[in-house]
Amino acid sequence: MVRRSGCGWVLLLVSVLWLIPVSVSAQEKLNAAVAANFIQAFTEISQAFERKTGVKVEATFASTGSLYGQIVNGAPYDLFLSADEDRPARLNREGAGERPFVYARGRCVLWSARKDFCRARDWRTALRGEDVKRVAIANPETAPYGTAARTALVKTGLWEALKQKWVFAQNIAQAFQYASTSATEAGFCAYSSVMSDEGKKGCFYRLEEAPAIVQSACILKRTPHRAAAEAFAAFLASPEADAIKARYGYQ
Amino acid sequence: MSLQIRVRKKLRYFEIDLDFSCPDDHLLVMIGPSGGGKTTLIRMVAGLETPDAGRIAYRGETWFDSERRVDLPPQKRRLGYVFQEYTLFPHLSLYENAAFAAADRAEVDDLFARFGIDHLRGRKPHQVSGGERQRCALCQALARRPRLLLLDEPFSALDVVTRRCLREAVKGLREGLSCPILYVTHDINEALFLADEMVPIVEGRIDRGWMQRTIAPIPDSEEAPLRATRQPRLALVY
Amino acid sequence: MRSKQDTDINSVDWQPFYVTLKLAVATTGLLIVLAAPLAYFLAYARFPGKSLIEALVNLPLALPPTVIGFYLVVFMGPKGAAGRVWEAVTGGSLLFTFLGIVVASTLYSLPFAVQPLKAAFQRIDRRLMESAYVLGLSRVATFLRVIIPNSASGIAAAAILVFLHCMGAFGVLLMVGGSLPGETKVASIAIYEAVEAMKYREAGLMSLCFIPISYAFLLLVNRLNRGA
Repeated sequence: MVRRSGCGWVLLLVSVLWLIPVSVSAQEKLNAAVAANFIQAFTEISQAFERKTGVKVEATFASTGSLYGQIVNGAPYDLFLSADEDRPARLNREGAGERPFVYARGRCVLWSARKDFCRARDWRTALRGEDVKRVAIANPETAPYGTAARTALVKTGLWEALKQKWVFAQNIAQAFQYASTSATEAGFCAYSSVMSDEGKKGCFYRLEEAPAIVQSACILKRTPHRAAAEAFAAFLASPEADAIKARYGYQ
Repeated sequence: MSLQIRVRKKLRYFEIDLDFSCPDDHLLVMIGPSGGGKTTLIRMVAGLETPDAGRIAYRGETWFDSERRVDLPPQKRRLGYVFQEYTLFPHLSLYENAAFAAADRAEVDDLFARFGIDHLRGRKPHQVSGGERQRCALCQALARRPRLLLLDEPFSALDVVTRRCLREAVKGLREGLSCPILYVTHDINEALFLADEMVPIVEGRIDRGWMQRTIAPIPDSEEAPLRATRQPRLALVY
Repeated sequence: MRSKQDTDINSVDWQPFYVTLKLAVATTGLLIVLAAPLAYFLAYARFPGKSLIEALVNLPLALPPTVIGFYLVVFMGPKGAAGRVWEAVTGGSLLFTFLGIVVASTLYSLPFAVQPLKAAFQRIDRRLMESAYVLGLSRVATFLRVIIPNSASGIAAAAILVFLHCMGAFGVLLMVGGSLPGETKVASIAIYEAVEAMKYREAGLMSLCFIPISYAFLLLVNRLNRGA
């Protein structure tokens, strides 16, 4: 057998790694920018879509704000699934996006890893609890779920009253992480994360005072795969996709 | 005998195997070619290196004993040690260096006056000459009121004139100093000038014949060392 | 919400910068004190498994900040070992406090302090230490009176590296901070949040402020280096 130097092995490895994505790219493919809260539902929906049409949908998951920034600066996405209504509308106004459409409605909940947290009469009482020192909330300035949570808190007068307890997460996923690792006693989370395996270990209150988080999406004008993008947009509203969304707590 | 040394230690090319002693008030010169184990020996006496076997005792106090597993750390042996090259602390002035471990600060003043470096007390080691540094190193060692003074080629890095002056200073130092001095050198003239007793060390062993072989050109070599010590004039020859 | 047009230099919130500076100063001070004995130990101690400890100290260099951040949230949280000990001792929480981010950045910057210190300690002439031992100084006294004063350049290098590293810290703090204004909301996070909130002008101004501040510190460092 020919002896290979370490350098040779590295070259071999690099070339193999290089070849892997190439072999896949022959297929038609959509690139979607997807708000992080929609990860699980999206993965399942895109798989269903691929089975049906053969078109693969690859997603970049990040916060709505940073995805918006990427798109404004020319990132080559075909679709944008935001966590709010505002940013797709903005892209539309600025001429970068097509007309936005609502693809999901999320709910904000107050979740805790401790089951006894939910023994209180309602979520307001639970928040006031002496042993509840820190509560995670997604940054209301940037994260739509955080904004919804703040609306509910302001409405009930708790926003100022319990100011000392708020810990700001960068997005709804981090808020859930803080709560699920017990770094905070509770957190304002997406109903969808409550439906996850980790989420089922804890308990939650619904926040009737918080408005539904209307998540809208838009096709980006620069897409070279318009037909496929429109097909996917239509699929997002299909009963099949609705069933998946419902399972992950979206309406 | 106040200092008793019996040590064995395996080095890379040979084994040190020595057994000798040094009385009080004696200046014992260890002489021999470079790399013969003299510095290692002195480091073992200082406690900076551990012999493989043997015993080092000073005035009945055991400093090292391989059988009884005694190994006094250098801190507890209370000795003065002047290294081959200056090892004054670079961040301290000469005075602070000498007073570093001084028993009594007033003694430092006396020593500085005696060694003629009083005017340099505020200077840092890099601001003075090599000879001045070694004078200061001597003061540092003496200010500790050592029970034993170890001088390892203290002047070999200096020029001839400075070396000669310092040699005189060491000789003068012996007045009023009651502790034994172990002095390492490979310079025969220096040895002849200073020694009360010489221990020639070649490849880790005492080699009495080494002196004769080395000073062979001098006739009547049997008496050469003695004559030399009686005639300090020799110092002017080179 | 402030309108975009009147966002000028006066409307920039300076508090995150203050928190950043405070964090950098506190971490640097704490880390030098903690890293010095560790670096000494790594420089001189000889024992089996030392390379394992050394690799552990350097681990933050090779780990993504997110990994460190993730574990810190767990360990410093009320259920984590560190969090529980802290709560037992002080009665308060460690996570989401200024002290919490000091701990986080201390851990994260550890190799930046240990490496230059270790190198500086190793550069010291062994005979200086031996001379100190012979003069009767214990190992600890030798460390404090001989090694430390003769490692000024290494200490300065370590302090500078740690300081600048803290100024630029982002990922770890994003994970553990909780973005509490005046407490854990540092400048880098404030900028990130401004971008997320589409306050691009404010983000731009804050970013711009970073450059002269960092530059001024580098100049200061240069001057210190020349003085040493």
